[in-house]
Amino acid sequence: MDIAYYPGCSLKSSSAIYDVQNQRVFEALGIHLKEIPDWNCCGATSAGKVDDFLAIAMPARNLGIAEATGLGEMIIPCSACYSRTLVAQCQLEKNPELKETINAELSKKISGKIKISSILEVLLSAVESGMVAQQAQKKLKGLKPACYYGCMQTRFPFKVPVPDNVENPQGMEKVLKAIGIQSLDWSYKTDCCGASSAVNDEDAADALMARIMKDAVARGANCFVVTCPMCQFNLDSQQNRFGPKHGIRERLPVFFITEILGLAMGMGVEELQIDRHLTDSTKLLKELKLI
Amino acid sequence: MTIPAHEYDPEKARSLMNEVSERSGQNLSACYQCRRCAAGCPVGEETGYVTPDRLIRMIALGDRRAALENELVWRCVSCYTCGTRCPNDIQTARITETLKKMAKEAHLEPLRPKIADFHSSFLESGVRWGRVNEMEFMGIYEMKGALKNMKRKDFKAIAEELKTQTDFGLTMLKHKRMHMGLLMSKGRKEIQKLQKKAKKQRGK
Ligand code: SF4
Ligand code: SF4
Repeated sequence: MDIAYYPGCSLKSSSAIYDVQNQRVFEALGIHLKEIPDWNCCGATSAGKVDDFLAIAMPARNLGIAEATGLGEMIIPCSACYSRTLVAQCQLEKNPELKETINAELSKKISGKIKISSILEVLLSAVESGMVAQQAQKKLKGLKPACYYGCMQTRFPFKVPVPDNVENPQGMEKVLKAIGIQSLDWSYKTDCCGASSAVNDEDAADALMARIMKDAVARGANCFVVTCPMCQFNLDSQQNRFGPKHGIRERLPVFFITEILGLAMGMGVEELQIDRHLTDSTKLLKELKLI
Repeated sequence: MTIPAHEYDPEKARSLMNEVSERSGQNLSACYQCRRCAAGCPVGEETGYVTPDRLIRMIALGDRRAALENELVWRCVSCYTCGTRCPNDIQTARITETLKKMAKEAHLEPLRPKIADFHSSFLESGVRWGRVNEMEFMGIYEMKGALKNMKRKDFKAIAEELKTQTDFGLTMLKHKRMHMGLLMSKGRKEIQKLQKKAKKQRGK
């Protein structure tokens, strides 16, 4: 099956490992990711804070390009890009005048609809079709993940159809269950990691991340599993900053869900680039004899 | 509250309320001050007495200055928890996002300049290249901060920031998480044209 693919900027820079993992894991599931040509930045949260028009116009151009591929669905693994693109699509649908204004400058116009999917929606359909269980046969015993969703998988600035439970989403848990992993029940799965405030408002972000980490540790988690590159980057890169500040001695690896799936499919650490985490992630895997 | 009730001027209040409602797309007058939003706001401890419900109250009372210059407007992390839980569907994050723009248009110095610089540097990079180049935009963001510290002659802050960023950059390099090439989209011209057009329309 072919599916349009929007990687977004972070998957081409600091979270390039997620891009590589997506390509490999989906290919193994028989889903061919077709990166849409000449895509642009979605504007992320910044556009919403600086320029409301660009917040819609930037993802709108990508929607036009995606539609022109003729494919019926586009997967967007980054939560911020997913949220912004889905919101833009819904806003344009409601506002034909705005659509016309934007279309006037676009070489690939927005016309009908293309389904915008998060990584979890696509993975869940692969779980349903049995492909995940068939391809990912290696048992990963000993992992006790806290599935962390962050904000943008379930909460949106404007009304859009939300694919999972808003307060207690289950998508990641379901995917992991299909490969025999029982996730922990915990309270902070949709709390905010602080996003860009990790850079521009450190104390606020550190307090948020510390709360998330403390609950995960208290529940007995030995790792996080995430789908959002921003959440992954924050929790992965800042543990040595917020940990000491908030009295947290434990350090937990922060896995992309694609890393867990890839491992269960028999892929190696280097193939999945798990050795590029800022908080060591291979130690736990070695201890559990998973690699 | 920031102004005594007897100074409340309904005419003045209405114009602020209408402006924020229209630009944010939120029906502020539906707020019945139940504070469900405040209970879930993760930055509540940082923003002092300003919680989403109180921000709405400031706007309802027409206190423009207080509404434009408070910690919540700048430190809101746009997690959208308040709006998801509000029984009246009021998305306060859209209100803080709107007030940031209004503060800029009113030429007010942002209460949290680092946050303002971050978002404008990010978007500028995205529009300039069509894609965001992390190293470039972080460089511009850091420069903006350093210039401000320079004006204040705060050399200690400059040195500290430089050290933090250098250490972080080196860790990123070591773990191969830094991207060196330039990301670009040819379509940036379309985006730039759209931006110009929008600016012109807003000017009218
Ligand atoms: S939850 Fe909604 S109605 Fe209640 S105080 Fe907050 S904004 Fe007002
Ligand atoms: S969106 Fe902003 S105001 Fe609303 S709960 Fe989150 S941080 Fe608080």
